[in-house]
Amino acid sequence: MKKVLSFLILSFFFFYAVSNAVFAGTVEEEFKIEGLISPASPKALKSALEKKLEVKVIDLNLKSTKTGWPVLRVQFDSMVVSKENIEKVIGEIEDPAGHKFKVHHGPLLANAPILDEEQKAIAILGDTAEVFPNMKNPITDKVASVSRGEKLFVDNCAKCHGLSGNGYGTVAHGFTTWPRQLWAWNNTGPETDGYLFWFITNGRSDMPPWGLILSEYNRWDLINYIKTIKNPGE
Amino acid sequence: MAKKIRDPRLRITRRIKKDQVFKVKVKFDHPSFTGLGIVDDETNPIFNRAIPVSFIRNMFVYYGDQLVSRFRMSSAIADDPLFTFKLKAVQEAPVKVVFVDNQGEKWEVSKKIKFYT
Repeated sequence: MKKVLSFLILSFFFFYAVSNAVFAGTVEEEFKIEGLISPASPKALKSALEKKLEVKVIDLNLKSTKTGWPVLRVQFDSMVVSKENIEKVIGEIEDPAGHKFKVHHGPLLANAPILDEEQKAIAILGDTAEVFPNMKNPITDKVASVSRGEKLFVDNCAKCHGLSGNGYGTVAHGFTTWPRQLWAWNNTGPETDGYLFWFITNGRSDMPPWGLILSEYNRWDLINYIKTIKNPGE
Repeated sequence: MAKKIRDPRLRITRRIKKDQVFKVKVKFDHPSFTGLGIVDDETNPIFNRAIPVSFIRNMFVYYGDQLVSRFRMSSAIADDPLFTFKLKAVQEAPVKVVFVDNQGEKWEVSKKIKFYT
């Protein structure tokens, strides 16, 4: 029994030492990839990278990554290949569609801060979606207001926004933009009052300026009702 | 996508009389991309973030010192758009068009209006 035990302990240390020696420089790194735009892109990237460098592509996570960018997980020997070298090679690989891949660094900048010139122009041209007045909902009896708002909604808004507020009203098909799904404002606080009031009053794109048709009182009823619309899928 | 952005170009009718309504055409070679692409997950095609978003955010039109119009755009705008609009020739002054894209970069082009007599 003792011999077996000592053999097991010795063999454990032996394999530990051997594996350490073999995988001494083996590391795993993740790269956020830009440029995966066509169905052929993932395969092209994986095969080209393995062909050009001594690396093993473990996987390419396209979905549910933290930043939204696809993540390529690569295993390589740090004694042979460096991370910078891999990044450089990724930048040289060409997609079948004819563009190059790139390793993404830094945050995604979808919209840079508004420039001074833009701010001035917005101020000169008056009401736009960027500058909403700070407004306070004057209606205190919310229950009665919601039922009035529901009637106004069915009469005026449901044709485009749909009875459930899903944006698929009967006449919405010819519009340049689909009407908004109104449950976006479900249970929102007073901070959205100014925005909603401005939007209903002035309209935009295919939405008419309801300020010309509905009284201020009616518009507040509508806002109170809109905030009660729930997503039927939830 | 990796297309080169060229400076905008502006074209105005040559012979303009005072108080005439004239046409202004502006061409701007700027790519427009939502940032999304369809890739194959080996089982089914899915949308993912492919490249950084790129589109023209605002276009401002100045006639003389006055801001006369603002075009607000989104990623739904076409690549290399051509804008056409009309102005009334009320003064001999330059027409300036300014573009700002979603990265906050700015381009401008201008042409002076001279009345034809």
